Formats: sequence, structure tokens, C-alpha cells
Amino acid sequence: MLIDRQEPIIRFEHASFGFPGVMALQDISLTIHDGEFVGVIGPNGSGKTTLCRAILGLMAPIEGHLHIFDCACEELRCHHRAKIGYLPQKGVVDRNFPVTVLETVMMGRYGSLGLFRHPNAKDRKIVTDALAHVSMDGHQDTALGHLSGGQQQRVFIARALAQQPKVLLLDELTTGLDITTQHNVIELVQQLHEELKLTVLLITHDINMIRSRVDRLVLLKTKLYAAAPPADVLKPNILREVYGKDLVITKKDLVIVEDYHHHH
Amino acid sequence: MLDLFTYDFMHRSLLAAAMVGGLCSVIGVFVVLRGLAFVGAGTSHAAFAGVALGYLIGWPPLFLAIVFGLATVWITGWVEERGGMKLDVSIGILYTTTMALAILFIGLMKNYNPEVYGYLFGSVLSVTDNELLVISGLTILVLGLILLCSKELYFIAFDQEMAEASGVPARLMFFLLLTLVALTVVVSMKTVGAILVFAMILIPASTAYQLTHSLKTLTLYSMAIGVTTAVGGVIISAVCDLPSGPAIVLLATVLFFCAVFLSPKRMNRSSPTHSH
Repeated sequence: MLIDRQEPIIRFEHASFGFPGVMALQDISLTIHDGEFVGVIGPNGSGKTTLCRAILGLMAPIEGHLHIFDCACEELRCHHRAKIGYLPQKGVVDRNFPVTVLETVMMGRYGSLGLFRHPNAKDRKIVTDALAHVSMDGHQDTALGHLSGGQQQRVFIARALAQQPKVLLLDELTTGLDITTQHNVIELVQQLHEELKLTVLLITHDINMIRSRVDRLVLLKTKLYAAAPPADVLKPNILREVYGKDLVITKKDLVIVEDYHHHH
Repeated sequence: MLDLFTYDFMHRSLLAAAMVGGLCSVIGVFVVLRGLAFVGAGTSHAAFAGVALGYLIGWPPLFLAIVFGLATVWITGWVEERGGMKLDVSIGILYTTTMALAILFIGLMKNYNPEVYGYLFGSVLSVTDNELLVISGLTILVLGLILLCSKELYFIAFDQEMAEASGVPARLMFFLLLTLVALTVVVSMKTVGAILVFAMILIPASTAYQLTHSLKTLTLYSMAIGVTTAVGGVIISAVCDLPSGPAIVLLATVLFFCAVFLSPKRMNRSSPTHSH
């Protein structure tokens, strides 16, 4: 991990988001470097999804600045945003929508194709490769709604890969999946991070699932509480301040609520 | 009975029905998938208010129908974008307001005007050459735009925010879709009437939805069903001496229930793939 030598990709400078008086994120200064694997954690309503929407260009800072690939991105639809592959929270998309796996992944090409141009052989090759990366190449003509939750997540990751991104932005990747599937999907993301040299921002509630995999954890609760390696973030005093509950780190490095720890 | 098909009015009717059936069913795919069904209903009533005003003040009724239809969908889209009100609430308010205006305009007319009611209930068998020309022009325009922007329209129907985040001009496409819905409604009013045009948009796409899982196939099926039911309805209407609008819509409804009953999706629903 040579963060110091890497290019900054996403840079928040004293950035605030929301409405005057109702801040979703306040005075955030954070730099994400090329090739980092970053986990974003925090309680419900802490601004994790706002952070995600800001990076995607769906909302502008009301104070401060946000630089994406060293561009101030004053225009929300700055072309630099196309380099960010995004996987939305489960439930945002109707997973029974009448669409095949191939059609879903091809949507990842639409932004870079531009208006009035339709996919060609090169786009189809990129899509096929993206499906191969997530081991879903045998399911091109399968209906999205016929797949299991884990397979659907793989298809959505392939859709993000079809964008040929430099950054993968994954919002609640493992929510609603069983424990084995959660593990498999996180493994896949780590593999893509290593093989394709992708910068990964993983927004999650599951601290234990990602703590051993990420380079840094970003801890949010409207303000930025920490952005450091997991060992420096997962400290009882910091967690108590953010989560408002005594959390303990067990001998096996698991973060659990203290009440539960005492009873077991 | 076959003599009927030698008349010019019948040729015009069948051509108008085929175009309107195809147009409504294609735009219907995006309306159903993007969850804009109620917008179709509201727009048709707004457009009818435009027709009524046109006859009242002596302006071209189709022109005012387009103005009323576009104003309604654009206001609806703007309100939804601002997030101030749910789409069904804003369209519900505009829907009833424009219907009140239509009734007011008809009430202000000194004489009974059967042509106004032609737009309300539809009378494809009385389509004139000029009207056929307008229908053809608007059909080519709307289908052409859909063809050009199909990938963006599919994407915003799937997930507008994801489309926006991927670099697709999603807002522009949403307003384009609303505009195309308004134009489609106006084109179709003379054929099936303001009350039933909504069914022509909704039913073929919903029927096709029962039969496939692919976006492209869904559109092709919907178009085939739309054209078949529109042409079939006109023939039934002419042969059995029934009003054309209800004949088209009821035929489409019968096909819809057949599709629901025979839907491969229903049969597959109990056996999803389970792995990983």
C-alpha cells in the first residue's frame, strides 16, 4: 500500500452537502487515492449515501469543493464521472424488470456511447469480458429476475465494469444476501480490485466483513470522524462516539455490541 | 361483407388504426416500465380540453390539444423532478382541472357539436385525408425519436438515477418521453377517443410484459399486439356495426387476459435459479 505515491482520484475539500440548516454531510475533507480499497461506514442517516450521490454528480456541494480526477466538476454531468462505475443499493432497482443479463450489462456502455449511437461489436466484446470477470458469461440471455440475489449483484458489478471505470462505487453491496453469498461477492470485489487495479469505495454496515480487506475505513456521522487504516478507526472510544453504543473488539477482531458480548 | 374493404374510408381507417396501434403500443412500453401509466390518462383528458377550446374559439383543435397535452406533461415532470409532490398526485390535480375546463368549454358552446364528441369517444371510420396526413407525420416523428433514443429511454425506465450517474442525459430523456406521450395521445384521440387512448397505450405493453423478459422482444411483441388489435378492432367495428374505440380496446383486453393466463413468466416464477 503506497498511498502517498498514488494520484488523488476523489478529493473533498471542506465540502458540505444538503440544504442550509439540514446538512447531510458537513465540512468533509477527504482524499481517495488511485488503487485504494476504502470502506465507508457509519450509522443509518450518517451521510453514506449522500457521499455516494455527491461522487456520482447527483448533488453539488453547497459549501467547499469536490474534485474528481483533479477536475473541479462544476458541471454535475462532468465527463469524468463516467469513470466511476456504480452499483446502487438493493431495492432501488426493480430486479424483476423485463431485461436480460446482456441488456442490463450493455447499459453500462450507454453513457460513453453518447446520443443516437448504438452498441457495436467492440461494445459487445467489452460486455462479454465484463460478464466473464464476474463469472456470469453463461447467463447472457437469462432474465435478470430469474437470478438469485448474489447473481444479480454480480450482473450489476459487470454493468459497472462495462463502463470501463477507474473507480467502483458500491452502495450496500451485501445487504439482503446470505452469509456465504456476502463472502463470495466481497471476494469478487477484492479480486477485481487487485486484477483490474480498480479503486474501490464500498459503502456498508458490515464492518466485520470488510475490516480485513480494506486499506482504509472512512467513518461518517454527518461529519468525517476518521479516515484511516481499520486498526486506527475501530477503537472503542471512536465507535462509541459515532454509534452511541458501547462496541467492543473481540479477541477474534470482531466488532460487536457490548451488551451482546457480556451475555455470551 | 368484403365490399366494405373496397371503400376509401375503410382504407383510411385501417391505415390510421395500424399507425395509432403501433405508436401507442411502442410508447406504452416506456410508460409501463417507467411507471407513468396515470400520466397517459391525465394527458388524454388535458388534450381533450384543448380540442374543446379549439372548437369554442375557432382555433385548430389538434394544435390546442398538443399545447394542452404538452403543458400537462411538462408541469407534471417538473413537479416530480423538484420532488415536491408525487407524480400521481400532481397528474391527478391536472387531470381533473383540465377535465373541468373541457366540460366548461363544451358548456360555453352555443350549439351541440358532434365533432367534439368524436374526439372523446373516437371515430376512426370518419378519419379524413388531412387527419391521416397529420397522424402519419406525427407517427413518423414519434417513432423516429424513439428509435434514435431507444437505449437512453430504456435506461431511464430501468433506473433514471443510475442512467444519470452513468453519463446519460437522463433528465432530457425523461422530458422527451413525456413529450412523446403527449404527442401520441393527441395523434390517437381521433381514432380511439380521449377516454380510451390510455388503454391503447397501457394494454398492449402490459400484454407483452406477460410474455417476455427481454426489452427488445417486449417492444416488438407490444407493437405487434397494438397493430393487430387496432386493425382487428376496426374490422370488427365495421362488420358488426359497433363503435370503433370500444371494439379495439375490448379486443386488446381479451388478448391481455389470455396472455396473463398463458404467461410463461407465471409458470417460471416458481423456479428461479439458485446458486452463489
